[in-house]
Amino acid sequence: MYAPLWCKTNYSFLEGASHPEELVEEAHRLGLRSLAITDRDGLYGIVRAHVKAKELGIHLIIGAEVSVGEPINPKTQKETPCTKVILLAQNRAGYSELCKLLTVGRRRSHKGVSRVLWPEVCAHSEGVIALWVGEGDAKRSAGLPEMKAVFGDRLYAMLPRHLLAEEQDREAHVRAHAAMHRVPLVACNEVLYHTRARRPLQDVLTCIRHGTTLSTAGRVLRGNSEYDLKNPHLVNALFRDDEAALARTLEIAERCTFSMDEIRYRYPSERLPDGKTTTEWLRDLTMDGARKRYGGEIPDDTLAQLNKELDLIEYLDYGGYFLTMWDIVQTCHAKNILCQGRGSAANSAVCFCLGITAVDPVRMGLLFERFLSKERAEPPDIDLDIEHDRREEVIQHMYTKYGRNHAAMVANVIRYRSRSAIRDVGKALGLRETDLDRVTKLLSHYHDDDVAGVLEQSGMDVKASVYSQLSDLSTEILDFPRHLSIHPGGFLLGHEPVSTLVPIENATMENRTVIQWDKDDVEALGLFKVDLLGLGALSHLHRCFDLLSKHRGVELSSATVPDGDTKTYDMICRGDTVGVFQIESRAQMAMLPRLLPRTYYDIVIQVSIVRPGPITGGMVHPYLRRRSGEEEVDYPHECLIPVLKKTLGIPLFQEQVMKLAVVAADYTPGEADQLRRDMAAWRRSGRMEGHRERLIARMKAKGIAEEFAERVFKQICGFGEYGFPESHAASFALISYVGSYLKCHYPEVFTCGLLNSLPMGFYAASTLVEDAKRHRVEVRPIDIAMSEWDCTLEGRAIRMGARYVKGLQDIEWKRVADARSASRFVSVEDITIRAGINERSLVALAESGAFAPLQPSRRNALWESKGLAASPAVPMPVETESVPAFQLMSDAESIHWDYQRTGHSTHGHPLGPLRAQLRRQNLPDAKTLYGLRDGQYVHYAGLVICRQRPGTASGVTFMTLEDETGFVNVVLWKDTFEKNSIIAKTQSFLGVSGKLQVQDGVIHLVADKLWRPDTQLTPTIQSRDFH
Amino acid sequence: MKRCCVDRLACIELPSLPLQLLLQDQPEWKGFPCAVVDQDKPNGELLWVNEKARRLGILPGMRYGSALGLSSELRAAEMPAHRIEDAVQKLVEALQKFSPYIEPCAEEPGVFWIDASGLLHLYESLDVWGSAVRKALSAIGYVSIMSVGFTRFGTYAIAKASRYKKEGAVVFADPSQELAATRRVPLLRIGLTPKTLTLLNKLAVRTVEDFLKLPAAGIKRRFGDHAHRLHQLGTGDLWAPLQPAPPPDPHERVLDLDDEEKDSEKLLFLVKRLLDPLLLRLLSKGQALLEVTCVFEQEHGETLTELIRPAEPTLDAAMLMGLVRLRLESMKVHPGVTRLVMKALGVRATVEQLRLFVEKPKRDLKAANRAIARVRAAFGNDVVVRARLENGHLPEARFSYEAMTEVPEAQPRVVPRRSLVRYFKPTPLLLPPRPAREPDGWLVRGISHGPVSRSVGPYVLSGGWWRKEVERDYYFVELKSGSLCWVYYDKRRRRWFMQGKVA
Repeated sequence: MYAPLWCKTNYSFLEGASHPEELVEEAHRLGLRSLAITDRDGLYGIVRAHVKAKELGIHLIIGAEVSVGEPINPKTQKETPCTKVILLAQNRAGYSELCKLLTVGRRRSHKGVSRVLWPEVCAHSEGVIALWVGEGDAKRSAGLPEMKAVFGDRLYAMLPRHLLAEEQDREAHVRAHAAMHRVPLVACNEVLYHTRARRPLQDVLTCIRHGTTLSTAGRVLRGNSEYDLKNPHLVNALFRDDEAALARTLEIAERCTFSMDEIRYRYPSERLPDGKTTTEWLRDLTMDGARKRYGGEIPDDTLAQLNKELDLIEYLDYGGYFLTMWDIVQTCHAKNILCQGRGSAANSAVCFCLGITAVDPVRMGLLFERFLSKERAEPPDIDLDIEHDRREEVIQHMYTKYGRNHAAMVANVIRYRSRSAIRDVGKALGLRETDLDRVTKLLSHYHDDDVAGVLEQSGMDVKASVYSQLSDLSTEILDFPRHLSIHPGGFLLGHEPVSTLVPIENATMENRTVIQWDKDDVEALGLFKVDLLGLGALSHLHRCFDLLSKHRGVELSSATVPDGDTKTYDMICRGDTVGVFQIESRAQMAMLPRLLPRTYYDIVIQVSIVRPGPITGGMVHPYLRRRSGEEEVDYPHECLIPVLKKTLGIPLFQEQVMKLAVVAADYTPGEADQLRRDMAAWRRSGRMEGHRERLIARMKAKGIAEEFAERVFKQICGFGEYGFPESHAASFALISYVGSYLKCHYPEVFTCGLLNSLPMGFYAASTLVEDAKRHRVEVRPIDIAMSEWDCTLEGRAIRMGARYVKGLQDIEWKRVADARSASRFVSVEDITIRAGINERSLVALAESGAFAPLQPSRRNALWESKGLAASPAVPMPVETESVPAFQLMSDAESIHWDYQRTGHSTHGHPLGPLRAQLRRQNLPDAKTLYGLRDGQYVHYAGLVICRQRPGTASGVTFMTLEDETGFVNVVLWKDTFEKNSIIAKTQSFLGVSGKLQVQDGVIHLVADKLWRPDTQLTPTIQSRDFH
Repeated sequence: MKRCCVDRLACIELPSLPLQLLLQDQPEWKGFPCAVVDQDKPNGELLWVNEKARRLGILPGMRYGSALGLSSELRAAEMPAHRIEDAVQKLVEALQKFSPYIEPCAEEPGVFWIDASGLLHLYESLDVWGSAVRKALSAIGYVSIMSVGFTRFGTYAIAKASRYKKEGAVVFADPSQELAATRRVPLLRIGLTPKTLTLLNKLAVRTVEDFLKLPAAGIKRRFGDHAHRLHQLGTGDLWAPLQPAPPPDPHERVLDLDDEEKDSEKLLFLVKRLLDPLLLRLLSKGQALLEVTCVFEQEHGETLTELIRPAEPTLDAAMLMGLVRLRLESMKVHPGVTRLVMKALGVRATVEQLRLFVEKPKRDLKAANRAIARVRAAFGNDVVVRARLENGHLPEARFSYEAMTEVPEAQPRVVPRRSLVRYFKPTPLLLPPRPAREPDGWLVRGISHGPVSRSVGPYVLSGGWWRKEVERDYYFVELKSGSLCWVYYDKRRRRWFMQGKVA
């Protein structure tokens, strides 16, 4: 028997070729009692290994292979040579020291690399066992004497035997130095994979890591396949001549008693006033908040709920976490940053009263248990949405308040998906990158397709060995970690320095540090995570409120927007919601006239219903029929009435699905929670099949129809990817309603705020401008004399801002604005001399038409700008030259130039000047189409503003076409799309022939044929395409 | 527009020459949309695309990744600059058969100007001549378009703008006709950069006529030298004489024999007859002979080509003849030689006197180089090689042989530990199978060395699964005679081999 002490998982990025779970499982199969995971300069895979080891009863030793050498110059980032030492945590103190040492190495190096010095290794020796590798110069014993002095009997010299000839010399060298310093020897092979079958993958990973190909890698690759997790009998034979060295592996395993279960996490305590306890302070703040929320008097049911929640928070000792969230919200308020909690936190009345969330869960009847329960005893998860362009301020506040030692961002492990797998494996195999790109283009964005099938489809000979290797290895590498990225907003906070819990390293982004675990690891260990997410819609609302205050003198906020406004709901029911958060998409706008929302809760449903969960589960149409009274509301079983009553017997929310599993399929709350986790990863893990049998069988046993049970299961799978919990939808619906109210009553403010918040949402600036014009808002062009960087309001008109001039940087515009503030410009030349902007900016402004007050002809302005920009930078008039007589510009050309340079036009829609021509060809505009009857065969031409091919639509492609009068939704069935794929993908100005589908005032044009319209000019527009 | 110092000038264009070369290399791509990219990366830019690709909306300037979105069938590859240069050189040689003066365009591969003066004495018409030129190019696999006129710019613009037709050329009878046609040429045809073209298009300047109306100084200031040069060429303000590519190397001598010659001694004298004037010619140009190619044309059209390279550039006829003699002695001249061609390549001669001041090294590298030259001459150019260390795992992959043209200065370095194996067999020796039971022992070097008495190993080497998998267990074995051998068991072939011996 032995204990492998040097095992690297695939979290030794691009080196180890087995998942941590696979190594643990194999160790268990081989009958090994202990196993050390020692990833390169990190503890990335340790939590996964720990969870699996706990499940199988294996003793997991926590350690790392640490790179020791001179620090890397941050400027050159050139890797320096290093040697290795294996460090194993004996106890909790040793684990902390290991984390701290890894943090030191990582923090001083650029991303992906780590270096520590021998004195630093020695300084972090408490509770650590060191295994000396003995690499490098045979005459030197790098680090051994220093380590012997500090580690004493916790130092061993390693004897790796991979049956390589060169190991003979190394072993002799190690034995000699070990004898000289009286260091015991230990048998220790490097393990890179759990089975030899992974050898090819390990070679490929090595090539990817070193940016080389298999045929040129040479000795960068390992010389043989002896790096697997070996059977004890084989290892016994291998070290037959030195059984003592082998026996020492077990001795070391016995000495390492630390387990990840020993990690006791303490949340950082907030500063408490007047000697109050955390609980008292939280209770005070909650009650104060409640009194403000309810106008002085707290309703009884709310008070009861608050007491219940506060008791549970105290029992679970989570008060500090709520105080942190409260503090962040207060910071946002102090900095005038809009923020709002989303997700399950909206189920909590305490969160509502603390101002973390904006939805009253008591009034909404939301379930607190979904957020926090004694039974689950899991840390609460509060996601806070913050204005997207000011989120960094809040992140830096967190670092400042808690310090880099106590706060770090959670990692996001980037894994191989089929596209990246084919690219990297193919490069390692030496295939042409252009060929690989052709293959990857055929792969789905989100799902891991059948690689062999795609290779065949792309015209490659899958029988040729290189392509079959590509197919096999690309499949094998799927889900392997590739590199570490940063979670969008997850923070780990700790009372003790975070670097004693987990190593911290630098992120690519400046001023960011990131821990080596992702959110699943953090969750598995029951640690607290604070999620700070950016949301463009909040930035938009903030801008609108500021504009309202400045230009209309109206002080409004999300909380003070009048509730139940009839005009707003009328507008929503018409589907007139371009630019409104969550209900602006083609599908949402088509659904609104059918669902006809008249209350806030209707918007909650609207937000949730156009989601893959309900769509793939076939829940949408039954719900709409029941809502309109076309179908009777009934329940598959009477036990489900309390669960489904709010949604007319149809499950639409994630909570309902979970509750359904508990009530109808007798899931315990623990099982239901497991269901939620498995839902989130169902495509990858395949763990949902077990639930399927259990759910359907138990529901059938209860007398629920199999068809309903199947539908529920389908919906669960859909929810896994993009399902909304009710609380989450409630938070978003609030923003949707406020946005709708602003659009309805203050359209110029709404559009101006939105134009200044782009990029966000579904539509490009051109569509928003056209929509504003249709709502009788005057939109004025960019003007060198009048415009600011952002769009501004001039009375009730919008003046477009210079931010829309493509190729103009804000720093260049600032020069223009500064020069303009001194005195107005008199000529293009004057701008050049006084503002001193570069050629690119000058040309961009000329082409955008911003020089119109100074030079009415854009062509002349362009000629002039190019000439001025090329003149020497001397502030004196340039020599005069004759200006050629350029052709005058037509309206259509002006609009075309606008679109090319600013992405929109205030002069008109590109189809406006072509309308007469189109009319002569009997092509109606969008407005006319709305007057035609259902089933009529029509021909229509418009500009494609959006293409969408949702995964839920079985290959159906949706397009939104626009003309000067409005939108037309086009549906392309799969075969129509395939037949017309080139024109469908490339044509901006598109002709469509097909049948009209009119239902509840919503029209769809079901395409039969696509064609290129025959006009003198071909307008173009940038379409926004989604998958 | 001014004429180009010749009466008649032709311009021939091979549209998208790099793409034509690509399709010659990859004939199986012919039915597909194809492109030449600037680099083999997904973000590589398409430089040239074929008609099929154009029809799918795939245009030059696009990124390969974006173009794939339009057609998943798109094939693309790089076309190395040296490959294009070689092709241009070959095309020049092909065109020189039709006119001695050919100027390849330095900026655009695939454009050539040809002096067409005086050809009417040889051809029925310039159209017929044009047809002959294009037919010759077609025979070596190129598509071309040709115009014959009077000016460099005019012929170029017309050739670029003309539509492809199977035969003939666009021929202008007089300069005014050419000028009128040139002015109508769309601007995007005349080789302006895409950036300039875009900007001119915005200014509604779309034909050569529009372009030539713009002020020259304004063009230079806004669009740079290239556009300015084209503008000047168009207006006739810039006169550039034809700069033909040099004619073929003249250091060549040919001797036709009345009777076939088999005797190498006689052939040697014939070689001398040709070599001496070649050396004199080189001397007159201040050059020395770097190498000489001897082509022995035999009956039935067979040829023997031999390259003789002295150790250093020389004009020493005796030494050269010595090398030729060595080569001739090793040659089998059967059937006899009927024609002898000698081509000399010269380089500028060095100043011999300088060598007087150089300290003579202990090792006479020159003597070594001379000796190697003699070996090469006697046995062929590839026989002198040296070993180079490689980065492989397998013993045979740890070094390779490379041709050695000269002996370098020795730079010995300290080897920390000498390899145990002193005699390495690049082709391993198959050994008799190792008997399962060894009553008489395992004889790997015959009876004289006795059986294997002891072995150490295995040391395992495996890999190469992507090409041809290798799995070997290496052992050092000691024979009864005391000698040590390096052997391995090839697990794939189930055979024992000897890889080397230990000194």
